[in-house]
Amino acid sequence: MNAKDIEKLTEIVGGENARTNPADLYIYGADASVHAARPDIVLVPGKTEQVQDILRYANAKKIPVIPRGAGSGMSGQAVPIDGGIVLDMKRMNRILEIRPEDMFCRVQPGVVDDDLNRALKPYGFMYPPTPASSRIATIGGEIANNASGIRSVKYGATRDSVLGLKLVLASGELVKLGALTRVEASGYQLERLVVGSEGTLGVIVEATMKIVPIPKVRCLGIACYNKLADAGHAISEVIASGCSPSMLELMDNIAITAVNETQNLGLPDVDAIILFEADGSAKDAVQQEIDSIRAACEKHGGFNIETSYDAKERTRIYAGRKKLFSSLSRYKDGYSCTSLADDMAVPYSMMADLADKIHEIAGRNNIIMSAYGHCGSGCMHTKILMDVTQKAQWEDARHAVAEIYDYVNSVGGTTSAEHGIGISKAPAFKKEKADSLELMRTVKHAFDPNNILNPHKLFDAPDDWVTATRLRYPVESR
Amino acid sequence: MQTNYLKDWGKELNVCIRCAYCFEGCPVFRDQGWEADGARGKLVLAYGLLTGQLEPSEYVAEKLYQCTYCKDCVERCSANVSVPDILTAARADLKNAGFTYEVHEQLLDKIEESGNIFGKTLKAPAEEGEMPVLLGCRLLERRDDAERYLEILKKLGIQPTVVEDEICCGMPFGVLGYKDGLAEHKSRFKERFPYERFICLCTTCVFFIKKTYPELEPLYVIDEIYKRLPDAAVKKLGVRTTYHDPCNVCRGMRMVKEPRDIMSWIGAELVEMPTSGMQAECCGGGGGVLVTDKPLSTRLAEKRIRQAGELGVENLVTLCPTCELNLKNAADSTQTDIRVGNLLDFIWEALR
Repeated sequence: MNAKDIEKLTEIVGGENARTNPADLYIYGADASVHAARPDIVLVPGKTEQVQDILRYANAKKIPVIPRGAGSGMSGQAVPIDGGIVLDMKRMNRILEIRPEDMFCRVQPGVVDDDLNRALKPYGFMYPPTPASSRIATIGGEIANNASGIRSVKYGATRDSVLGLKLVLASGELVKLGALTRVEASGYQLERLVVGSEGTLGVIVEATMKIVPIPKVRCLGIACYNKLADAGHAISEVIASGCSPSMLELMDNIAITAVNETQNLGLPDVDAIILFEADGSAKDAVQQEIDSIRAACEKHGGFNIETSYDAKERTRIYAGRKKLFSSLSRYKDGYSCTSLADDMAVPYSMMADLADKIHEIAGRNNIIMSAYGHCGSGCMHTKILMDVTQKAQWEDARHAVAEIYDYVNSVGGTTSAEHGIGISKAPAFKKEKADSLELMRTVKHAFDPNNILNPHKLFDAPDDWVTATRLRYPVESR
Repeated sequence: MQTNYLKDWGKELNVCIRCAYCFEGCPVFRDQGWEADGARGKLVLAYGLLTGQLEPSEYVAEKLYQCTYCKDCVERCSANVSVPDILTAARADLKNAGFTYEVHEQLLDKIEESGNIFGKTLKAPAEEGEMPVLLGCRLLERRDDAERYLEILKKLGIQPTVVEDEICCGMPFGVLGYKDGLAEHKSRFKERFPYERFICLCTTCVFFIKKTYPELEPLYVIDEIYKRLPDAAVKKLGVRTTYHDPCNVCRGMRMVKEPRDIMSWIGAELVEMPTSGMQAECCGGGGGVLVTDKPLSTRLAEKRIRQAGELGVENLVTLCPTCELNLKNAADSTQTDIRVGNLLDFIWEALR
């Protein structure tokens, strides 16, 4: 980019909404991943027309454009690997319409998930995917990464909630995708294709999202296990026995210790726990569901099973669970919490095996890994805890990540369940999706022939995630 | 740039996983909207300075000084990253690298010359009792108020000792990054106020002294009142009020219940602000922002006053003299019909 480009792009959004200061570029070059790069300019558009003008200009000049929500992605999706324009969408944050009678709302991409839920509450409705980052994650970012969360086991991931999108294409053209109906069989459902595309197909400027009534009754339960694998078997049992939990979470002892220490949650100090929830409109029905889940948990060694309808207690436990990711950073002095192989999914029956594998692989590679996650949705989270200042530890992490994904692939799992691919997971993703990479490139080319939209991510990301960008940490060569 | 202070925070900066949960309640981020305005952005800047990946600049300094130290970020951070401590270290390194503000130098000169932040000759109302009491700069300047607050203690059975020539606790040196100046000032403070255990009337002083002078045992006036008020004869005031939780009281000293109980005991009907308790929004008066960036501080205070104005109450009380000042000014500038005062005034009325 040259000075003229900077000037023209700044004109589009106005000087107060453009930044080229090295300090801002340094900040917007990173997200919650291990990666870092520098953009040439940060633009904060306030209107669709500005997004269109920016893309028209960038397309003509072949300047990369990287859309960004809260920048809370863990795999480097918003890291401007080739420089260019970071498009901070947080200013487009209006809730445009709430139609409870039609069970949808229309929002701009910068609306924060929790803000949307606060606005829906007076109508008795909620937007259900509930990622842990809902307090700051934007709807646009959640769509771009097909986010899901603790309630996805019952209500689905973001893709299941998207009815329609307004998308600005690389050419600057504005297209309207989807329909306002619950079902649709009118050709390709391109709005669903855009979900999870990580900003590579277009810039979302409006979204129509399904909403659901807030359940009248919720009951939370905790089951303890002396063996992590038993908890994994219980998860599979709960799902396969026909239960319909609204939450089914696994936490291993590392995760339990981390949240107890930082959040003072007082969770039982056992090998693993399962957190489960049932919701509905009638207490009898919810209790019936809870009884069924309890029975499935007990069948695989669950003990000290406690349940509660108390809203305060539920809120306390949820809050702790939602803060687990960063709590892990305090697990061991000198070790940092990194998101590398962090959200794989496997078939339910393999959950127990995966949980054990994670610890086994970590032990073999001199790192610490925690196993937890929305296992009811098939999603297992892991974080790699290591001394990020030591080069040898990055080699250890590289081996561990490769081993984990080899295992996930071998059992028919998938690289990412809800955090997306970005840069960190691209090598594993490319292995997993080897048969369809060319087809994906063809789709990308149809949307973005000049490859300006978040280039070098997903199938085009570098093969070695460690050297793909500058790491955010200064690494010593010992 | 030499990072003599930041280097001690390298590990802590790696504990931050940059999840951005600290965006949620950050008053500066909510006001200005750029990521450099939120706690994560500021930590990234500090990290850049520490690692040499980022050159120091006036802009970096501006951003690192645009923090009110409200600690909302710390409260929301699952890893409890010590954001204000890291920023203080970064400010100290920036100051040593020559990134100084004239307004800071002027303020600190005033303290060195006069002993208080106003640069005036101010005398505390001398008392010779049993329990030393520190007024703090703002109440030194509001002598009538200070005298009333001392009367509260007397009515509750505490005979205060007040040093006429008390000086500032040194908080401005600390938050503005003048670590050497603070070390020298601490000695001066302890010479003038030679007590280990004492009551502080000012929220900022008590919080700062607790954190910075581990050898001292400051007691907060509200704790002392809270212990004694149930046994005192109080009249019910019959007023409706809202209450602004000062950051150093709620998140700093984790005191949420006590002021509310006191209001209930003295018949002050509390109408809560839209954000209160541990999630109370900052008035913009902390972290040196009142000095460094007055317009930002004013905007935050005006936002808080507008929130209070919508509650339909006649009074807003708080406990921190700086919050009180900032909110009073905001009530004037926004022409909001609300009386801003100190909860200690209500307590005095109830005890009269």
